[in-house]
Amino acid sequence: MNVVVLFCKLRTFLLNYKQTNISVTESFGAAVSSLNAAHLTDGVIRRSKRMMLDTLGVGLLGTSSPVFNVVLQHGKMYQSKENSSVWGRPGTFLPPYYAAFVNGVAVHSMDFDDTWHPATHPSGAVLPALLALAETLHSKPSGLELLLAFNVGLEVQGRLLRFSKQAHNIPKRFHPPAVVGVMGSAAATAKLLGLSPTQSMAAMAIACSSAGAPMANAATQTKPLHLGNAARRGLEASQLALLGLEGNKQILDLESGFGVFYQDYIPQHLAEVTPNGHYRWVLEDQDIAFKRFPAHLGMHWVADAAVNVRTQILTEDPNADLRQIKRITLRVPSSRYIDRPIPDTEHQARHSFQFNCCSALLDGEVTVDSFSSKMMNRKSLRELLHKVHLENPEDNPASFEKMYCEIMVEMARGETHTARCNTFYGHWRKPLSQEHLVRKFKTNASTVLTSGAADGIVQIIENLEKIPDCSVLGSYMQFHKHVTQREQSYYSASV
Amino acid sequence: TLTSTLTSTTRRQHALQRTAPEETVTSSFGRFIQGVQPSHLSPKVIQRSKRMVTTEVFDLALQHCQHMYAPDDISFVYGRNGTKLSPTLAAFVNGVAVHSMDFDDTWHPATHPSGAVLPALLAISDMLPKNSKPRGVDLLLAFNVGIEIQGRLLRFSNEARNIPKRFHPPTVVGTMGSAAACARLLSLDPTQCSNALAIAASLSGAPMANAATQSKPLHIGNASRLGLEAALLASRGLEASPLILDAVPGVAGFSAFYEDYAPQPLPSPEEVEMHSFLLEEQDMAFKRFPAHLGMHWVADAAATVHKALMDLPIRSISPNMVQDILLRVPHSKYINRPYPESEHQARHSFQFNACTALLDGEVTVQSFQNEAVLRPELYELLSRVRVEHPQDNPANFNRMYAEVEVTLVSGDVFRGRCDTFYGHWRNPLSEESLKKKFRNNAGAVLTPDRVDALVQAVDELEYLDDCTPLLTPLQ
Repeated sequence: MNVVVLFCKLRTFLLNYKQTNISVTESFGAAVSSLNAAHLTDGVIRRSKRMMLDTLGVGLLGTSSPVFNVVLQHGKMYQSKENSSVWGRPGTFLPPYYAAFVNGVAVHSMDFDDTWHPATHPSGAVLPALLALAETLHSKPSGLELLLAFNVGLEVQGRLLRFSKQAHNIPKRFHPPAVVGVMGSAAATAKLLGLSPTQSMAAMAIACSSAGAPMANAATQTKPLHLGNAARRGLEASQLALLGLEGNKQILDLESGFGVFYQDYIPQHLAEVTPNGHYRWVLEDQDIAFKRFPAHLGMHWVADAAVNVRTQILTEDPNADLRQIKRITLRVPSSRYIDRPIPDTEHQARHSFQFNCCSALLDGEVTVDSFSSKMMNRKSLRELLHKVHLENPEDNPASFEKMYCEIMVEMARGETHTARCNTFYGHWRKPLSQEHLVRKFKTNASTVLTSGAADGIVQIIENLEKIPDCSVLGSYMQFHKHVTQREQSYYSASV
Repeated sequence: TLTSTLTSTTRRQHALQRTAPEETVTSSFGRFIQGVQPSHLSPKVIQRSKRMVTTEVFDLALQHCQHMYAPDDISFVYGRNGTKLSPTLAAFVNGVAVHSMDFDDTWHPATHPSGAVLPALLAISDMLPKNSKPRGVDLLLAFNVGIEIQGRLLRFSNEARNIPKRFHPPTVVGTMGSAAACARLLSLDPTQCSNALAIAASLSGAPMANAATQSKPLHIGNASRLGLEAALLASRGLEASPLILDAVPGVAGFSAFYEDYAPQPLPSPEEVEMHSFLLEEQDMAFKRFPAHLGMHWVADAAATVHKALMDLPIRSISPNMVQDILLRVPHSKYINRPYPESEHQARHSFQFNACTALLDGEVTVQSFQNEAVLRPELYELLSRVRVEHPQDNPANFNRMYAEVEVTLVSGDVFRGRCDTFYGHWRNPLSEESLKKKFRNNAGAVLTPDRVDALVQAVDELEYLDDCTPLLTPLQ
């Protein structure tokens, strides 16, 4: 252990000791239990509502994916009297544990959900669990309570990610949603259930034994299950904690606890929560990225740069034939699992610098449809893929905060075109406008829901703090456009 | 470097292996799971694995699973007359029961292999229709596949040979073993078997910090049910990484759980005359009392001292006689607990088990009940304990020892040492001792005729046309 790390550990220890004699774990338990609606700031409310909306939309779209179908069939084995809505499937209900699972899978099925810094997909692990739980509670939570619990789930994830420097870079070992996501889900559901500080701690300790999945399954059909599992197992942890199950009371403090997932782990206490005091949320300081098309976040830099180059080519010669491209050089960060020269599956294509570059060059944009088999197997695309060369410049770190993408296209006649993207539109430094966010939601939602239902959801989220019963969201998520209205008897009082 | 490790691994490959150039470690596992046949089971492996199946059935609070949602009640919960749950929840609950007291078997390299596998297999068996129950030998084979896979995976890392510090092994290899066993019982094809393993990898891994807490038994329960889930998902066509077991630089698969990782392909059963199951070479340890394996050395050593003290005219042990108790044991933070506060902690405390054995001459199930844990005389003895970690005493179940040195106020010193406790794989429990353990445990929950029926069913397992005789008494 080098001197710097030792010093930091000592400093943290002294700070912690000065502040309080409680452990890091206890500080988390206390915060989860004590944070209340008064602590939500306007900024945090606004941002988290955008996240909720986006998550619901991508989830709805995701209900059309094959992986969603597989897990739904699986979950249906376990029917029960306790009912939580399966999104996009009118009349289909599952026990909350499985509803959280399948809906979580839907959210991440196309890698279309939000991404934060340090890197994780925070909402997909939390929202499905909260909504599933809310639908089964005897006394339905209000929109404000949902909002609070959701933010508790985000906050815990954000804080945990800051306990390790390693977490700032594109992951290599464990897929972050599987590490922090389950903890966030446990915290959020603990909040909604009103668990005590001790129970909240226990929920997180129990959840910790469900954390962690290897990166190798990213870019496969199993990746969405990482989010689904995080959602359901966090919920389960809270339920077990409510029944009195205990885990290690120092789970967040110990290297042999949550620390096992990182090589450098320096936990810190959460600030004390006073009933009327101010609380500084991570989401306040660090905004989130929303994707414009369903692929790994890194692809968005590449797409924006590629579109730029394409514009240059076409501006110079509107009749330019892209088959005249001789060579494409991509300067991107080094990250093995998103470097795929010739992807075979849709999941791989979403995790391929090369594929997204070529799609954007050919079509001027990357969309949901870009990953269909037809588009993936186009001759023009396949040919272009062979012309791509990757470079990993030293100054291009594998970090969503610092990376860039530079594209250089060399034409047959020798002229070159270069473009660079430092910050794509949708990144937290250049957030999607509210209009574009809502448009993304409506485009996604309308593949499955009636336009009335989609509008309804937009309205509900916009006014979430005033909604008395948040479980209506579940009903709206089942308003399928291809199912006639009379079969949908769950329509409750209008907003 | 990783490259050189892989190269030397290739050179060390078993002479009988003839792997195709494109074959990955992962696909070799898939092929093995699908291809291995009952004829590959040797008598020794059958005998040893049947001993493992003679597992304990314990009472467990079902409250949490009654709150869980499983009205597709198909699979039975051990010892709860007629209580049924969905297959995965039954596997979960029964798995928790198996490990609830840390009484289940332990292997080398260290893990608790059976508890992760058997509950899932029984849950599947319950799930299958009456006329399609697996034969006894099918169950036995699937069980051995589950054990074998765990053993193989544990040998991919040197780190795995020592008492774990980071991830609790049953959550790392147990889930994989369960997935493999279930895939076998469900007769999945090789690709599905590989996918089952890969899906399971995303459900593996829990930190050591929860060992010695009430959550620890859930590690085995989860391993069992999640492995079953992985197999079920794979059977529906879910795909995952085809290189999950292979070492791919820059992207961690199963290697995420280890610092050093050098995987080897499994020989295909068709290519090899007789697949050599690891259980053949490496026997299993069965515990004589419900505590962490390390406690057994210390208990046996302390029992020797107890016996010597009882031979003295005074014929009793009182803390006042004792000046100092020195324990020489391996260094392992999570089983070094001077003053355990809960039953779970007591099962993971060198000090507690040494003092109990000093006082009582043995450690039993009852030693961990509240009255016993809170005895004043025990506390007194605990306050006299010192612990040393000799250099030559590694934290490794194959090589460790325990020494207990008691200094009386009179000045006399009594020493006991244990290198291999009775029940260790080097000194296995006799059939009689094992059955006695089973009857004591099972008899706490089942009627005598059911207990007998179970003993008989396991005895004849490989000859049963239908494993129902094993399932029925458990209900």
